[in-house]
Amino acid sequence: MSSKSLTLKNISKRFGNVNALDNFNLEVGVGELVALLGPSGCGKTTALRVVAGLEHQDSGSVLVGDLDISQTPAHKRNMGMVFQAYSLFPNLTVEENVAFGLQMRKVNKSVRLKKAHQLLDLVGLDSQSKRFTHELSGGQQQRVALARAIAFEPEILLLDEPLSALDAQVRINLREEIRRLQLSLGTTTLFVTHDQEEAMAISDRVGVMNNGVLEQIDTPDALYNKPASSFVASFVGTMNRIPAHITDGMVEIFGSKIVALKRGNESGQVHALIRPESISVAATTAQGNAKVLTRSFMGASSNIICQTEDGTIVQSLMTSASTGDLLPGSSVQLRVLSSEVLVANV
Amino acid sequence: MFSAFEFSIRTPANGGYGWDNYLWAIREQDFFHYIIRSGWLAALTVLITLIVLVPTMTWLHLSKSTIRPFVDGISLLPLVIPVVAFAVGAQITFPEFVQNTVLELPFLYFVLALPYAYRTLDIGLNSIPLKTITEAARSAGANWWRTISTVIIPVIKSAVVGTVAITFALSLGEYTLTVLLHWDTFPTWVTYVAQENILGAIAISMMSLIIPVMVLTAVTLVAPGRSTQGRK
Amino acid sequence: MTLNVNKGGAPSRRRASLISFLKNIAPALPLLVIIGYFFLFPIGRLIYVSFMSNENTFTLDNFRTAMQEPYRSGFTNSIKIGLVSAAIASLPGAFAAYFIESRGPVKLRRTISVMSGVLANTGGVPLAFMFYAALGIQGQLTKVLKFFGWDIYAGRFSLGTFIGLLIVYLYFQLPLMIIVFSPAIVALRREWAEAARNLGASQLNYWTKIGIPLLFPSFIASFLLLFASGFSAYATARALTVGDIALTPLQIGGLLDGNVSAEQLNLGKALGVVMVVISAFAVIPYLAIQRRSARWQKR
Repeated sequence: MSSKSLTLKNISKRFGNVNALDNFNLEVGVGELVALLGPSGCGKTTALRVVAGLEHQDSGSVLVGDLDISQTPAHKRNMGMVFQAYSLFPNLTVEENVAFGLQMRKVNKSVRLKKAHQLLDLVGLDSQSKRFTHELSGGQQQRVALARAIAFEPEILLLDEPLSALDAQVRINLREEIRRLQLSLGTTTLFVTHDQEEAMAISDRVGVMNNGVLEQIDTPDALYNKPASSFVASFVGTMNRIPAHITDGMVEIFGSKIVALKRGNESGQVHALIRPESISVAATTAQGNAKVLTRSFMGASSNIICQTEDGTIVQSLMTSASTGDLLPGSSVQLRVLSSEVLVANV
Repeated sequence: MFSAFEFSIRTPANGGYGWDNYLWAIREQDFFHYIIRSGWLAALTVLITLIVLVPTMTWLHLSKSTIRPFVDGISLLPLVIPVVAFAVGAQITFPEFVQNTVLELPFLYFVLALPYAYRTLDIGLNSIPLKTITEAARSAGANWWRTISTVIIPVIKSAVVGTVAITFALSLGEYTLTVLLHWDTFPTWVTYVAQENILGAIAISMMSLIIPVMVLTAVTLVAPGRSTQGRK
Repeated sequence: MTLNVNKGGAPSRRRASLISFLKNIAPALPLLVIIGYFFLFPIGRLIYVSFMSNENTFTLDNFRTAMQEPYRSGFTNSIKIGLVSAAIASLPGAFAAYFIESRGPVKLRRTISVMSGVLANTGGVPLAFMFYAALGIQGQLTKVLKFFGWDIYAGRFSLGTFIGLLIVYLYFQLPLMIIVFSPAIVALRREWAEAARNLGASQLNYWTKIGIPLLFPSFIASFLLLFASGFSAYATARALTVGDIALTPLQIGGLLDGNVSAEQLNLGKALGVVMVVISAFAVIPYLAIQRRSARWQKR
């Protein structure tokens, strides 16, 4: 079964007096992996569950391809879903778990077990096929859950924070595996997470959500370099906010005049949004415009945190080689490396 | 199920359709005597439970001792033995001097309540980061007793309350063992009363059922809730 | 807890390691001593004496007598009432537990669990009197039923008969079922039901393939516990019957109260031991099943 596109149109959902989703719109193209990223409570999980049919929207519609499935019950929606944890059936073996979707579709036993083995092989767990859930590690369980979700070749794949409950290293390995699998199957996928590194690493596009609203949906690149809002700017990667004053479309930062990229009506006193890698720190024997607070060595690069005279904390990311002699307390000269900079209202 | 309760509420009011029976019961001097007696015994049982069981279980959980499975298993044994059979055994075992003191019953009640008390405390102790908070308390200078009373018990408060409740209820209502060993406590007295004044006995029974239910309900409603499967 | 390292030679090593073993488990000793003296010791004595004749010689006579009338009926009746009350209460209790745990608001849930706890544990005495009030000869419920044309005492019914007792037993078996079975319901994770639906299972499919298979062992275990409870119940039976039904707990009670004939000295002990064996047949599988189920039940 080839994959289809997924569309959410004007979805709204309230829980009590909280607006989990407010006129939410989203389109996922065929074979695309779109991540919904945001803090807890932003509505991303609700959106996913509405797509799955596990929550019913108050208003709006969900379409798969051209078909409106808003009223279709969950068990008829032909979507594969991977939950955060604990979703494998404890009374069934691994292979029976994976074959379950096919069993529900009345596929005959030997055929479905064969398919289950194929998939388990794909995720590297064929040897565990006769075991039970409690005998597997967290990472193994999620791989089985993944195999189970794609066993019946669903049109849409839904992932609800599948890696959040796992150890850091397992997380990194598994997310690559998920992406590989998704690309080779070409399944339209919606992936929910609160970990922005994860979202950026494997998605075609990422939608950043806050309070039930989609703030920006774009490629990881665009999100990082051209954040549409203050929230997106701080949520994706680290962002410095440096107070400055706009004069004639320019701001003065650390002694240089730089073009201010406005997105709206920003004027007067604003915050200049600058990524740490766009700020350089240099030791100086003169007065300097900042003092080093701390230096974090991270291998190839180091994070230097400084404080300017007016108290602003500035973070800079440089290669470790160039920052060797920057000790806490030393005077430094900060410089902005780009010629244009985003600004946001204070 | 509840209709039976409802009907029995009316009946005690029978002989005169008033609260006569209740009043009679309360005025009977033995009433309070026996309630206090049973209450006292139950309190002793609870005390034993708290003093012996809580520290021991805390230690068992902390030290990962090899005898833990053994103790786990033993704590379940009283469930296997019917109380009647146990009563027979008890009767022929304890020498006179033990049997005549008030000490015998609380310990026996303790054993009877052990499966429930143990399990409740076990669940409670499992649900907290025991090792961490004990080390925190100890490194801050508390000795063992202070650690237990000021840190651990409050943390597993709901488990402790549950244990106390069930031990107390069981001790108060324990009839079988008590009567077979020829002791007189509240439940045995009530059956005795029933032979002369059935309505009074009914009134008493009503109270002994309703009051604990009301108290425990009030306590559970007021107490902070344990976590349940909430929404995501 | 530091381990005591022993530096003794070979012969004293065993004694030393016994001492260090004792030191290691020292904190548990008070508890173990209490259990040992107040529980294990009486049970041990019970078993020992059941094999004794009046002259203190070893005999199996007590057990032989225990297997004859009227004690044989005592056993059959007790087993019957245990099985029947468990059978009748288990299914409704299971459903009740399901509805309470999955649908009820939190406060209601806790209230019911507390009430069930009290009902199941305060002993049969108040319960027995409740029933006198409701269904006794002068009972309110009896009067109401008479009003509707059903005189329950027309036949040979009375609270002291088997059926009468059974009805009363159901009243504590039901709450007991709810208490014992609820944890299994609570342990059913929402994710399983959702995953099942997502994979194409209808509600029925979920229950037949996942829900019921998971709950079944706990159900059986609960049934066993209910059986043991009905089988061993004493207080209620004593309060309601006048001695015309043969029930093992009552018979033992009678033997303990005095009026024991010469040959029957240790009969009560033998009856007790048989009770323990029968009860063990139910409770030990119960414990074994619960242990296995705990694997998927832990959160």
